[in-house]
Order: sequence, then structure tokens, then C-alpha cells
Amino acid sequence: MPALALSLVILFISAPIFWLLKPHRSLWFAWLGALPPATITVWQALQLPAIAQGNFIAERYAWAPTLGLELALRLDGLALFFGLIITGVGACIAFYTAYYFEGEPRQGFFYLVLYSFMASMLGLVWADDLLTLFIFWEGTSITSYLLIAFKSDYKGATEGARRALIVTTAGGLAMLAGMVLLGLHVGSFNISEILAAPDIAAASITPVALILIFLGAFTKSAQFPFQFWLPGAMAAPTPASAYLHSATMVKAGVFLLARLHPAFSELPLWFWTLFLVGGFTMALGGVSAIRYTDMKASLAYATVAVLGTLVMLLAFREKYAYEAFVVTVLAHALYKAPLFLSAGIVDHAMGTRDLRRLANLARTMPLVAATVVLAALSMSGVLPTMGFLAKELMLEQGFQRLERGDGLVGGLMYAASVLAALFMVAAIATLAWEAFFRRQADEHPAHLHHAPSPGFVAPALLLTLLGTVGAFFAGMYENLLLAPAIAAISGEPTTLRLKVWHGLTPVFLTSLAVLAVGIGVFALRNHVRRAFAAVPEKFSSLAVYDAIIDAIYHFAYRLTTVIQGSPMAPQVSVTLLAGVAVVVYALFFSTARTGVLLDSLEIPSIAEWLIFALAILGALATVRARSRLSAIISLGVVGITVTIFFIVFGAPDLALTQLLIEVLTVILLVLVFFRVRPDPFIEDDRRRAFRLFVAIAMGFFGFTVVMVNHVTQIGESISPYFLEKSYSLGKGTNVVNVILVDFRGYDTLGEITVLGLAALGGYALLRSPQIHKLRRRIVAARSAGEDGAQPVSAVKHEATEVGHD
Amino acid sequence: MIEIYLRLVDKILTPIIFLIAIFLFLRGHDMPGGGFIAGLVAASAIELTILARGTQATRDRYGPWAVPLAGTGLTIAVGAALLGMYNGGFFRSIWLEFSMAGEKLKLGTPQLFDLGVMFVVVGMAITYLLRLGEAAEVAVPEQTRLERQREDRHR
Repeated sequence: MPALALSLVILFISAPIFWLLKPHRSLWFAWLGALPPATITVWQALQLPAIAQGNFIAERYAWAPTLGLELALRLDGLALFFGLIITGVGACIAFYTAYYFEGEPRQGFFYLVLYSFMASMLGLVWADDLLTLFIFWEGTSITSYLLIAFKSDYKGATEGARRALIVTTAGGLAMLAGMVLLGLHVGSFNISEILAAPDIAAASITPVALILIFLGAFTKSAQFPFQFWLPGAMAAPTPASAYLHSATMVKAGVFLLARLHPAFSELPLWFWTLFLVGGFTMALGGVSAIRYTDMKASLAYATVAVLGTLVMLLAFREKYAYEAFVVTVLAHALYKAPLFLSAGIVDHAMGTRDLRRLANLARTMPLVAATVVLAALSMSGVLPTMGFLAKELMLEQGFQRLERGDGLVGGLMYAASVLAALFMVAAIATLAWEAFFRRQADEHPAHLHHAPSPGFVAPALLLTLLGTVGAFFAGMYENLLLAPAIAAISGEPTTLRLKVWHGLTPVFLTSLAVLAVGIGVFALRNHVRRAFAAVPEKFSSLAVYDAIIDAIYHFAYRLTTVIQGSPMAPQVSVTLLAGVAVVVYALFFSTARTGVLLDSLEIPSIAEWLIFALAILGALATVRARSRLSAIISLGVVGITVTIFFIVFGAPDLALTQLLIEVLTVILLVLVFFRVRPDPFIEDDRRRAFRLFVAIAMGFFGFTVVMVNHVTQIGESISPYFLEKSYSLGKGTNVVNVILVDFRGYDTLGEITVLGLAALGGYALLRSPQIHKLRRRIVAARSAGEDGAQPVSAVKHEATEVGHD
Repeated sequence: MIEIYLRLVDKILTPIIFLIAIFLFLRGHDMPGGGFIAGLVAASAIELTILARGTQATRDRYGPWAVPLAGTGLTIAVGAALLGMYNGGFFRSIWLEFSMAGEKLKLGTPQLFDLGVMFVVVGMAITYLLRLGEAAEVAVPEQTRLERQREDRHR
């Protein structure tokens, strides 16, 4: 049974179904919402033993076989490890969402996007083909955009969403280029084949490809200098922040690096890039977290720090780094998601998540307080939690390097880890203390709207408990879940023996010192915040990004004013002359002229001469017309004669299309010219001469192109093939239609995409504010003037219209 | 007066034109017609309504369908292409052939794709025709009419 594809299809289909179900009607939908991801979690959990023994599940589906494209899915240790986190946390989030959006009519839409994201993310980690991975990768970017912009009437949301989209898709495109380089070099896009390709690390294209792929991974996983989009993404509803922007999507970049690790990690380029970028991001994110009083912003910077940690750990090829990597991924998902969920509960209950306005919530929300405290212990790495294990293993890795005399790497790593860790301890202690335990808020204390129900808190509490006790029971799953993941990252089978208690090692003492200093920083938090607030904003990467975007807008504006700033006629001249230039180039300078000259031209019949004369008359009438309306109608005549030509030459489909287009064009032109002011009549002879020249040049070259096409033939004609195969392959006798919808379906798909975009553009452009202003003025004038007796109806009329748009 | 005749024409012709559109769409795979043409025919029916009754009435009639139609069409087209994955690749066609009342009939993903094309064409056409029609209704005749009234009053 194709279980992998089936799982993705289930999620993709659940998305619209849930939307149509209108889940905001009842809280029972929480259970239903958690069902699809929970089912897939259980299925994955059942696969654990088989995967641990190396019996991977692989599925391949042809996509465009002639191009060698396929959708390939493969469930190995790493894919299963990430897949379990995605669907497991996903089930909790889906459950929580129903409470978070209780009674909100757009809840269904949220579920739609959430499930689509879940399917994309799952496809991403299961992918065994670089292009498959890329498609799902973009899917996560787009769904992330929709979720961040969910509160679309809030400016911060749309801005943050656009920023995230631009940064991650720009990186994604760079990554695609890198993937294509790799794929072309190896001759296959299959990830397993690429990783197994001999000497791939030494290939000449590898450095370029790797740097491009790094760009994709670093933008997605918010590494310096791209980290700024992640805090901006916090405008998303909290379930999305918890799920996409801490537990799963931001780990996609890290996942990709882990995927490619076996083949490329020997390279110095790999080690130094990941080590330096990851280490710096870790220190920067960790130190920044305490600065913010918005709970979610603080958590976002802590997430940046963890992502930096993960990237840094992937630089190494050593045992402790691998162990630290998998334990950190798991621990982070289990403590950061609950922290976000708790922030959402506080926001929901109090109407704010600004620490300055919160205090003493432990009394009103004891369960939430318990969740936050447990998660905070794990995040700060206090003894029995999973976070402790993660930090211990990371420090151990640095310590090993130091012991081996690698002072540079070990020292840098140790210093960065300690710095990030102690500030994160201080940040999370600040969050927990200020929101839940201190007596008095700083300013404008918020009041409780309604206390959260147990169901609201349950998912967060469940995840936290797993993270708290998980380390004790590591023996139960370390060789089922973690070891196969490490095997996939390192490329060699391995077994694992995790210990919570290592004795009084130097690493443990460091850990204690970090906690102590972290508490010290927590005590001095107000001084620290003030010191940070003094750092000028203009050196941030956000300021650089904004400057770049501004420059692009400015350039576009300048370019548009140069090319299209003038009245219509010169603009059209530019376009037409550009067309003529291309034709001239192709005719006289292009070297690719290998066509055959066909023998002769037939002499047209009398009927054809007559139609021809009619067309010329129509054209002349258009030029000589005194008013626009007559010009448009004469132009219609020209079009109709073309239609007649199509009929005469036996192309009914073309004739029909041409006729309809002609009719609609005439109507559209009439409508458009109502809006466009007429160009003033030109007295200047030089300008008139120029326009005459443009018109004649265009006509002449149009004629030449048709003639040349008619009398020469390049290569062999494909028409007989279509005629012959139309019925046998396309099951249709209308060859034109079969070509459109079957043989050349890709072309048509491209064309209707353009049409759809044009519709969207027209919809946005034509609802310009001027029309509405004018309409309102007319309505106002009407109510004051002739319809003075019924001003109320006029106002109502206006209101419905405004409401409608 | 003209408007009354136009309304009558609209009442009689619009359903017929829509039927023609459906007819052209259905025969498209074997005889002249197809999604693109059918879409244009349907668009001209809608334009007839706009000319006869104005944009507001047209919006009341087709409004909720108009804007999402292009997107729906694109989704259907991509969906039809994706169905081909079942038969060995993106855009591979799948055909069902059966006979009903003595006639051989066939249904296939290319026709579904064609339906998507039709929706996109109609959606785009309605969007432009409604928006431009609105602008034309508001901008020119109303303005001149009001100005004329104002002049009358001054006199």
C-alpha cells in the first residue's frame, strides 16, 4: 500500500474538507482536527522497529517521465524522526487551534492552511528527490505566508508576512539553482543517488552548489544575517507561531543540511560555514532574547538561538555532535511549542502578552503556570529534563575538541554556547517570573477576560510533560528513534547509550555555572534591557533589508517613469519599435537560418482579393476616423475580415475564436476609452512623421515575418504528427482542441496562468480609489440635488456598494 | 427606450447564449468549440447583461461567482493535470468510455482541463467587463448629466 503518498493525500484532502465543515461551530472539532495528524503519527510510530533495522520504505511516482522527473518519497531514520515531530506536535496544535479560535468564523480557513502546511512539511522531510523536496519547500513558504498574514487588517502582519516570503523564497530560488547544479552533475535528482555518488564532494561544481543550497537553508532556518524575518513572523496567530516558527518549518533548513551531511561534511567549506554562521546566530539569538517584553518576540529570538545551535552542531562529524543534534531537535520541539502555546493562552485570556502589563498569573491559571515552569526548566537545561541532556551533549562536544588541543574550535564553541545558554536562562526566567509570579505589573495591569478551560491547556501540558520526563526514559526509544536518525545523518549505522547523570564532570560544572550566572543576569534584567535599548537600530539586518527593498522600489519607479511616464502614443511606440528591433535582428543578423525555401506562392482567388480589399478599407477608415468610436468600429471591421479569411481557409476554431475576441475587444476598447483622456491633436510635423514611421515599420515587419514564415520551413513540420495521432493518442477528432488541452497542455496551463494573473491585476488596478471617490461624490450630489427627497436611500446605496467591494 | 428592448433581448438571449456555450464546450473535443471558445461565448452573454441592465444588476446576478472563478479554473486545470499522475505522469490523460442510449460517450481529464480553461477565461472576462463597465457608467454619463443640470440651474 502506498502509505506515504496516502498520508500526504489524507492531509491535503482534510484541508478543504475542514474548511467546508465550518469548525468554529463547536469545540468538538478539536478532536476531529487532531485526528488526521494523530493517525499518521501512530502509523509512523508503528514503523519505528522496521526502520531501525534498516528496512526503509520507498515510493516513487512518475511525474514527467520523458524529462526524468519523478516524485520520490523515502522513509528512513531521519525522515521518520522529523515526521513524528511534525505530525505529533501537529496533532496537539490542531487540537489547540479549536480553542484558540473558539467561535472565530475564519477558523476553518486557518485549518485549511494548517493542514496544507502539514502536508507540505511532511512531504519535505519524506522527499527522496531534490525537486520533490523543493516543491514541498515552497509549499511551506507559501502556507507560512498565509498564516503570518492571517490577521490581514493588521499592518504588522502583512509586512511581516511579505518579508518572510521574500527572504525565504529568494533563498529557495538560490537553493533550486544549487540543486539543479548537483542534479545535472550526478545525472539524477534522487537524493539517495546523489549522496551515494562517488567523489561528489570533490566535484568542481560542489562549492558553488553548496553555497547556493546554504543560502536556501540559512534563509529558511533564520540564520544570521537572515534571522530578522522570524521575529516579524510572530504576527501570525499563536498556533502557527508554535508550529511553523519554532517546532517545524524553521527546521527545514537544518533538516536539509542534515540530509546532505553524509556526502559533504568532510569539506572545510562545509565545516567553517556552518560552524561560524551557526555559532554566531546562536550567540546573537540567545543574547537578544531578554531584550523584548513581548512574550512571543522573546521566544522567537530564543528559537533563532536554537536554530543556530543546530546548524553549528551539523558542522561536526563527531559522536557527541550527532547526539546533541537529535536530542536538541526533540527537546526544542517539546519545550518551545508549549511555551508558545502558553503565550497564546495568556494572550487569549488577558488580551495582551506584553510582560510589562502582566503579573501573578499563577493564581488564576495554575495549569498554564505549571506548563511554563516545566518548559522553562527544560529550556534552561535544569537537571532531569531533556533540555539538560541536549545542553550537556553540546558542551561535551566543545569540551572534547578542547581536550584534543583544538583550542580555536573548542574555545569558540564553548564560549558561544555558554553565552547563549546563560542569556536564555535569564530570558526564560524573566518571562516566567514576570508573567506568572511577581506581585505587581509595571504599567497598566491587564485583567482576566476569561480563564482558559482545561482542554485549552492540555496539549501544551502534554508536550511539556513528554519533554520533562523524556530524558529518564531515553532507553526506551534511543535506539528506535534517535539512533536511526543519527545513522542517516552520519551515514553509518550506530547505537546509542544516553545517560542523564554523568557524574561531576567539568561539563556538568559548566552547566551549573551557566545556570547560576543566568539567574544573576535575571536579577539584573532591567539594567540589561536598558543597555540593549541603547544599541542603535540602523546596524540591524532588518534595516539593511529594508534599505534594499526601498532601493528596488525606487529603481522600479525610475524605470517606469522613463519607459512609461509619457502619454500613450510614445509608450506604444517604444513597445512597437522594440518588437520591430527583435524582428530585424532575427531576420538579418541571426545565424540560425537553416530553413528551406518553399517553391511558390499561389495566386489568390477573386473572393480572397475582395476580402483583402475590405481589410485594407477597414484599416484606412480606422486611420482616417474623426472620432474614437468610429475608429474602434472600423478596427472591428478589420478583425472580422481576418475571421472571414480563417473561414475561407478552413479553420473554424480559429474563426470562432477570432470573431468572439473581436466582439469583446470592441466592447472593451469602448469601455476603456471612456476612461482615457484623448491625446491632444498633434500639430508638430516631426512628431507626426515619427509616428507614421513607427506605424509603417511595424506593418512592414509584421508582413515580412508572415511572408518569411510562409515561404520557408525550418526542420520538419509537426502538423502531420498531430493530425495522425489526434484520435489514437488524444481521443478527439478536433485536432486544435486536442493540441490545446492534451498534446501541448503545459503551454495552455502557462497561458491560463497568465490569464488568471491578468484577471487578478485588472481586479486590483481597476478598483482604483478615484473611481470610488467619484462615485461617492455623485451619490452625494444626487442626494443633495435631484433626489433630495431621499437622501437616506442614497446613503444606503453607497454603503452597500462600499461593502460589496 | 433602447434599454427596454435590450432588456428583452437579454432576457431571451442570455440563457440561449449560455446553452450555446455549454454546447460548444461539450462538443469541443471532436468538433469546433472547446473551453476557450465556450468561455468567450459565456463572457459575451454576461456583457449583454451588463449592457442591458448595468453593472450593479449584473454584479447582483453573477457577483459571488465572478472573482473566484479564475482561481477555481486554474485549480481545476492543475487538478486535472495532477490526476494524470495516476496514469504515469503529470498531464497524462485518463479516459473513461461508456455507452449510453446507444451513443458512445467518453469522459477524460483533458476535458476537465478544458473546463478549467473555460472558467479562467470567463473569470477574467467578467472581472474586466464589470470593472471597466462600472468605470464607464460612473465616469462619463453621470458626470455630464450632473454638469448639465448644474448649468440648467444657473440659467
